[in-house]
Amino acid sequence: MDFNLDEETRSALEALRKWGREVVRPVGLEADRLSRPIPVDDPYFERCLLRGDGRTRWQPHADARSTRSRSVLTQLLLAEEFAYWDRGVMIANPGPGLPEASVIALGTEEQKERFLGPFVEPDRPRWACFAMTEPGAGSDAAAIQTRATKDGDGWILNGAKCFIGSASRSDWILVQATLDPSKGRAAQRAFFVEQGTEGLGPFKIEKKMGLKAYESSSFSLENVRVPASHLLGGETRRERSAGFKAAMSTFNAGRPVIAANAVGIGRAALDEAIRFAREQDLLGDPRVRDRIEAMTRKIRMARLVCLRAGQLADERRPNIVEASMSKALAAQVAQEAASQALELLGSTGGRGDHLIEKLYRDAKAMDIVEGTGQIQRMIIARQLVSLPR
Amino acid sequence: MNLDPDEELGLIVETARRFAEQEMLPRMREAERNRQVAPEVRRAFDETGLADLELPEGVGGAALGSVARVLVNEELGAADPGAALALDRIGPALYPFLEMAIDPVGSLSTIRGNGERILLVTESDGARIVRNDVVRGTVPWVPADRADAIVVLTREGAGLVRQGFSIDPVRGAGLRAAGAGTLRFDEAPLLDSAFRNAREAADRALARARLHVASLLLGVMRAACDFSRDYAQERQAFGRPIAHHQALAFLITDMQMALDGARLLVHEAAWRLDAGLPATAAAASAHAECVDASRSIGPNAVQILGGHGFMADYPVEKHMREARALGLLLGGFDAAVEAAGRSFCETEHPLEIGLGGAL
Repeated sequence: MDFNLDEETRSALEALRKWGREVVRPVGLEADRLSRPIPVDDPYFERCLLRGDGRTRWQPHADARSTRSRSVLTQLLLAEEFAYWDRGVMIANPGPGLPEASVIALGTEEQKERFLGPFVEPDRPRWACFAMTEPGAGSDAAAIQTRATKDGDGWILNGAKCFIGSASRSDWILVQATLDPSKGRAAQRAFFVEQGTEGLGPFKIEKKMGLKAYESSSFSLENVRVPASHLLGGETRRERSAGFKAAMSTFNAGRPVIAANAVGIGRAALDEAIRFAREQDLLGDPRVRDRIEAMTRKIRMARLVCLRAGQLADERRPNIVEASMSKALAAQVAQEAASQALELLGSTGGRGDHLIEKLYRDAKAMDIVEGTGQIQRMIIARQLVSLPR
Repeated sequence: MNLDPDEELGLIVETARRFAEQEMLPRMREAERNRQVAPEVRRAFDETGLADLELPEGVGGAALGSVARVLVNEELGAADPGAALALDRIGPALYPFLEMAIDPVGSLSTIRGNGERILLVTESDGARIVRNDVVRGTVPWVPADRADAIVVLTREGAGLVRQGFSIDPVRGAGLRAAGAGTLRFDEAPLLDSAFRNAREAADRALARARLHVASLLLGVMRAACDFSRDYAQERQAFGRPIAHHQALAFLITDMQMALDGARLLVHEAAWRLDAGLPATAAAASAHAECVDASRSIGPNAVQILGGHGFMADYPVEKHMREARALGLLLGGFDAAVEAAGRSFCETEHPLEIGLGGAL
């Protein structure tokens, strides 16, 4: 048992902490104040590139397992730290984003070269995104209705997607579609749809309660034609449910990251609460101390559960239960921490200009994205008590 | 970073588990009824050497740390936490000896050699030290019918009491295998004591004691979770196992989450103690979380069994009572929260990653 951090992780955290304090937090606060995503041409994104962000961990001319990546544990600690400063800005950052893991795991060499290649040394801020959620299919990912129909040597896509991060600014979108809605997951496939493809869009930038720094878009696909080479994994990877596994492999990797984000948000609320209590000379009040103790305890616990899921992933041990637990627990803890911190502010929190008030709004999304708390509990219960699907 | 216990402790934990399942679990009702563990169980326990885990090598111990203790205690607590307290004659009273120089006349060797029962009480329990040499006050409940000596731990230090106290047996709400009594000090003289510049050591002693209790709580919670979950998969209602009704499935899930999270807090705090890092707040927090979690896991385990859970035919009613009783020791939840809260509020960023090189 060892809770020490290695030197590399510590220095990465230190650098991120400085970046977060000086750049990320102010950018996030401004996006929230202006109630709009960070514009595509904002200098912030160029600074991200200069810092080394926005790149793929895929390395050309290397086998699938050879990627530039830190341990999952380190990634989780960095995800927590980034979200501490602003989770919305973190998601707004350029890069191949959510679909990267699926492309690395399941994509053909040509697909990796074509779609991840531009992210190796990006000439400008570039984005990619993954489109699963639909107006009629959120938690029930097996129920998506976007259709993929074979058309000669290519595919025709029709449907609608919603709440997709950075979609309008993405070079390409990995679209999850079904060959036959009646066949559920087994009939799902993922397709690369490049920006500008005829029939893609228009994009509607959603107005959100929180996490305003990044863009959430809804769009339609109307007779969008993609070549056969844009089917993730290619025509030869048509084994049963391969498409769905691509989506699920992304989600599995994502749950502890969201949990870490939630821990970061909760921690920010905690620190702000302590700062406010100190400034207002409230720390002598046992009710205030008890509140801070509970926040600290629960956040620490959520962090450990999250890191446990990460360690299992690093060791390539099954982490289905732990990943879902981390997500369910951390989201709940972050929301409660922000709420308790807001309670401590009293009517100051009602003004709408305090960071804690923003964190309260931001935190809610953590219990929704990549599987709600209820979905996580269903996943856990399937393992613990064989809850039927 | 590695959140898993070291493999070398695996054998010790396995020994504890085997002993708990084979010797303690089958006789838990008998021990509760008799307010003591059977002599043959005690002999078998002594042979395992589990009581000596943290004792210094100089007095025949293994000199292992808090991580080993919490892992073993979870196993013992899962079978019978009252018996676990009774079997380990020195128990958490050991920690002031280890952390503070209160042993100038070799009391620890004597206590161990004679097989004496020794208890730890704190100011939060009701013991009061006057002029650093006399103890007054009444502790309404201790999990013991008798004791040969008492260690009184305060925020300023600790001392050993051998006379001037009495224990009057009471019914006891739980942990009856260890006995139950009201402890009264009547101008009890402190024999060995350490109060000068002892605050930090007293804090560490209390931290270790908190984890001792917290880890027994982990065991009880695990037993309650496991039993109620197994039951819920067998018991049918409305044509399917009750575990397959979402209300119960989610309840079982939340119980398991609470247990797993609390366990990680205990492990981290124990590791901090063994690593010599500041750990008093972490231990108090872990203790508080275990009590908090047990307050929901205990009653919910009974709830899952419904009417059966209320009956002594099943162990969950015992789990519920004993978890609650354990949670009252060392000042209980409120004292733990108070200690952790004070500490957290002294810093600007209590959870900043990498402070001191560790989480």
